[in-house]
Amino acid sequence: MLEYRAYEQIERYLNGEMAVEEQQAFEALLRTDVRLSEQVREHKQLLDSMQQYGQRQALKQKLQNIHSEMEAETMEASPNTWRVFWNRHMQTVAVAASVSLLSVFGTLWSVQQLKAPVQQQTARYVELRREVERLKKTQTAIMNGINDASKPAPRAAAFSGTGFAISADGYLVTSSHVVEGADSIMIENKAGLKYKVSEVYRDEIHDLSILKIADSTFGGFGKLPYTFKTNESELGEKVFTLGYPREDIVFGEGSLSSGSGFEGDTTSYQISIPLNPGNSGGPLLDDKGNLIGVISGKQAGQEGAAFAVKSAYLLQMINELPASTTMAPMVLPKYNSLLGNPRPQQLKKLKDYVFVVKVYN
Amino acid sequence: MKKSLYETDEAVMEGIRRSDDRALAYLYKLHFPMISHFILNNSGTEDEAKDIYQEGVIVFYEKIKDNSLELSCQIKTYLYSVCRRLWLKRLAEKGRYATKLEDTDNFVAVEEDTDQHEEQEKQFGVMGEALGQLGEPCKSLLEDYYIHTHSMQAISDKFGYTNSDTAKNQKYKCLQRLKKLFFATYKPGVR
Repeated sequence: MLEYRAYEQIERYLNGEMAVEEQQAFEALLRTDVRLSEQVREHKQLLDSMQQYGQRQALKQKLQNIHSEMEAETMEASPNTWRVFWNRHMQTVAVAASVSLLSVFGTLWSVQQLKAPVQQQTARYVELRREVERLKKTQTAIMNGINDASKPAPRAAAFSGTGFAISADGYLVTSSHVVEGADSIMIENKAGLKYKVSEVYRDEIHDLSILKIADSTFGGFGKLPYTFKTNESELGEKVFTLGYPREDIVFGEGSLSSGSGFEGDTTSYQISIPLNPGNSGGPLLDDKGNLIGVISGKQAGQEGAAFAVKSAYLLQMINELPASTTMAPMVLPKYNSLLGNPRPQQLKKLKDYVFVVKVYN
Repeated sequence: MKKSLYETDEAVMEGIRRSDDRALAYLYKLHFPMISHFILNNSGTEDEAKDIYQEGVIVFYEKIKDNSLELSCQIKTYLYSVCRRLWLKRLAEKGRYATKLEDTDNFVAVEEDTDQHEEQEKQFGVMGEALGQLGEPCKSLLEDYYIHTHSMQAISDKFGYTNSDTAKNQKYKCLQRLKKLFFATYKPGVR
């Protein structure tokens, strides 16, 4: 309790609340009592630093307020933090972006470089069915539609190939990859005959399909000018084909360069006729007008290496037809009217039996 | 705020002497970008910039308040010098040495001022800690009486003491504890 009183006294003294006499007495006491004066000194220091501490805290708080006020102002001035972020990191982002772009395209390029020679080494078999330039056709169709709005524009075929007649009563042959996935098939020849056909038989292994004309207006092909060869043809024999690699019929000539086809396939010949997509399914004939094969494809990246399925397999398939379907046996042509004619005459006779096969899906 | 009011350094200092908070706010906002730029350019963060700048402003403010500042240069230069010095010390404490300080302005010698400020900060740090260790209600009681200078009567009302004598007694006990805590860690330096 005594100490408590002493504290009171010290504080009053420090605050200058003492009366004059009391103060003088206290000061006199201070001069003699070392312990008391030490206590007064400590007390003063404690109170001073406490008060200053309080003031400092208040000042800091004030500055803190000013700062947040300032931040709020600048935030209003530039509300877009993304912009700030962008400005600060623009260079880094740009470098990162260009490095990643560079590496992506560099990788693509080098992979391409590595792949190029490999591509040449691996033989690739290309089926020669033609993808019709749909875009161009649609465009013309649209233009036609503008001119003549009453008629709906005809849809363009998605794919096309070649096919040829094998019997007078409306059977044709083409490559089965030509008519693969077809919704409807149309054939058309140079003479302007146009029929709807349906696929009646398919031999995926030999890539052959038999088509039959489904039109009621069809009255028969008449006598076919060529016959089918049952045995193998000799190496070096002159061969030719007709086909539709474009809108018009195209003649191609060469020779039989191998008795086996792609990667030693014995069911086909290798022939040296330049062929293009759209030639698939075309007839391959020799000089005497015998049909010796059906064009099926070529080797990618290799010049003059085209392939045709041997006619023996076509005949085999035709013979199998009655057994596997309900169709009547087919009457194959027996008389060859091409024999001995010069090439132009042969072609003139032949071309009406070669059709462009248009596939819609 | 009318800008022209604090157009000159003298006006700002006069405002601070009059305890005009607007003058302080004006000064603060005016020079912050410079210091922020300096700190950020010398491997500091925005928070550090804010810290250092506030300390610098405090040094300046206190000097103005007790009229002990003989300003031989612009306020801007003075603030820059103080902050620069404080930041150098901070860097050294962190073990990061600025091999080459990118100065954006010229500076004057302010070692004395910053040293004094640091001594004070140390003392206040000890005081803050001691008050913290004191715990409630002692802390609030002492703060209310000595810092906010509330009357003994208001304090006994606030803390629910029956009369001001009980409050005084309580205050005495608290002060006694604070004294022990404070002088246990604080060894007075040059002051």
